[in-house]
Amino acid sequence: MQTLHAEKLTKRYGRRAALLDCDLAVPSGHIVGLVGPNGAGKSTLLKLACGLIRPTSGTLEVLGSVGFVAQDTPVYASFSVADHLRMGDWLNPAWDAALAERRVAEVGLDPAQKAGRLSGGQRAQLALTLAAAKRPDLLILDEPAAALDPLARDAFLRSLVGFVRELGAGAVLSSHLLGDIAQVCDYLIVLGAGRVQVAGPVRQLLADHRPATLEELVLDYMSRAVAR
Amino acid sequence: MIRMTLRQFRLPALAGGVLLALAAIYLLRLGNATHAARLPVDYHQTMLFLAGGAGLVPAFLGAFWGAPLIARELETGTHRLVWNQSVPRRRWLTVKLAVVGLAAMAAAGLLSAALTWAAVPVDRAAGDRFSTVMFGARGVAPIGCAAFGFVLGAVTGLLIRRTLATMAVVFLAVIAVQFAVPNLLRPHYLPPERVTVAMTADAINRARMLGGITGAPIVGGLEFPDAWITHTSELRTADGRPLSDQAFDTCFAHAPKTGATGTFGDIAVCLGELDLHVDLTYQPNRRFWPFQWIELAVYLGTAALLAALGRWRIQRDTFA
Repeated sequence: MQTLHAEKLTKRYGRRAALLDCDLAVPSGHIVGLVGPNGAGKSTLLKLACGLIRPTSGTLEVLGSVGFVAQDTPVYASFSVADHLRMGDWLNPAWDAALAERRVAEVGLDPAQKAGRLSGGQRAQLALTLAAAKRPDLLILDEPAAALDPLARDAFLRSLVGFVRELGAGAVLSSHLLGDIAQVCDYLIVLGAGRVQVAGPVRQLLADHRPATLEELVLDYMSRAVAR
Repeated sequence: MIRMTLRQFRLPALAGGVLLALAAIYLLRLGNATHAARLPVDYHQTMLFLAGGAGLVPAFLGAFWGAPLIARELETGTHRLVWNQSVPRRRWLTVKLAVVGLAAMAAAGLLSAALTWAAVPVDRAAGDRFSTVMFGARGVAPIGCAAFGFVLGAVTGLLIRRTLATMAVVFLAVIAVQFAVPNLLRPHYLPPERVTVAMTADAINRARMLGGITGAPIVGGLEFPDAWITHTSELRTADGRPLSDQAFDTCFAHAPKTGATGTFGDIAVCLGELDLHVDLTYQPNRRFWPFQWIELAVYLGTAALLAALGRWRIQRDTFA
């Protein structure tokens, strides 16, 4: 059982290759951290995984259904929080209304509040709830916490872990913030220059390599990709 | 997906509904006046003005209901939210086009019904509901044009991905189409009838226009009973050849003084003596309803093609 399985996955935008011949085999049941410098192909890989774009060549198989939280967590500004939950109910056969309403209450969102007036942290929580309440097998999050203050970020990541436990789902999230990755992820993929630099369980990677912390490990692989 | 579409359509529907109600009230009052009028033809100028206004309806529907439908989602990034629900994006597009498209057709149909009813006495008196301007503001043709304008707006938004730019482009495009269809397309829906009309001095005086801007030997604004004239040839001599510019100019500038009255006076007498004729191409008035249905089909067919284009592009294109 694999969450993500890529073979020779390539995505080109014009002549520029965002991803080039990537092979990946991520076992299920992990929270996967996807890191790499700007332009390394993180967003491209996640958009391919949720079917928003299609590969130029190669294949990418994703286990089961996907809940996607897009970058900047877009919501309908004129819809209230309750409208968004109603939308989830209308558009998803497997919608778990009880889960959605409970989570919204737990993170302190007012159902009558217009989404356009939510703070960044509240909006991210709403987007995460929408993605999770369709009960996906895999949650995919593209830089979900990048624009949040440390407190909102911490709350968001706790929510994420809570959802993953409750749904029994896997998750893949990309981030620039290695602290976030270290906090919640137990599997790591380092992308650099459109290729997979390293991938594996965090504990094993740390045991196999000399750098003692996740941060040093990632920086080590990123700088190797640049040097090449 | 239908409920989602209706929820998003709430505000535009409200705005459109208010305008529609105001227009309907005005047309009902106008209709009461025309039906009670002793000389309904007095309202002919009003009807011409309203026919022009009716032409703006599909342009507004395209710009305000059609253009933002997809473009706004792509502009604000909400497509990344809604396309990651469990509804495939082609179905998402189809339902949006169908639901709002039907509303646009219903609105245009109501307006057209009210205007057609209000115009009945005027059309009967003036006999010109088949004319280039009036035809498009009567019967079922406006329903087709509204569907076309709306779908053009939505699909253009999918291609341009900017709401304001799409609104401007679509508004102008729908107006342009409404100039092109009556002049270039409609005359050919069915093979036209032809007739040769002798250009006696009397006949020339009944024309509304004589001579082109460059002094070409043409007449304009001729009338033929119970028909929409789609083409008028230049003035022709008995052997079927065009009257020479020279001969025309001679009559135009140096016609012998006869003291004749009539619109064109001595010029008409001078030309009348040359044994001239014009060849008219026309569509008889009995074809009004066949033409209405053909025009509806033409617009609906084009709208369906545009919708198919949209379904193809939304599946194939990359949306960041």
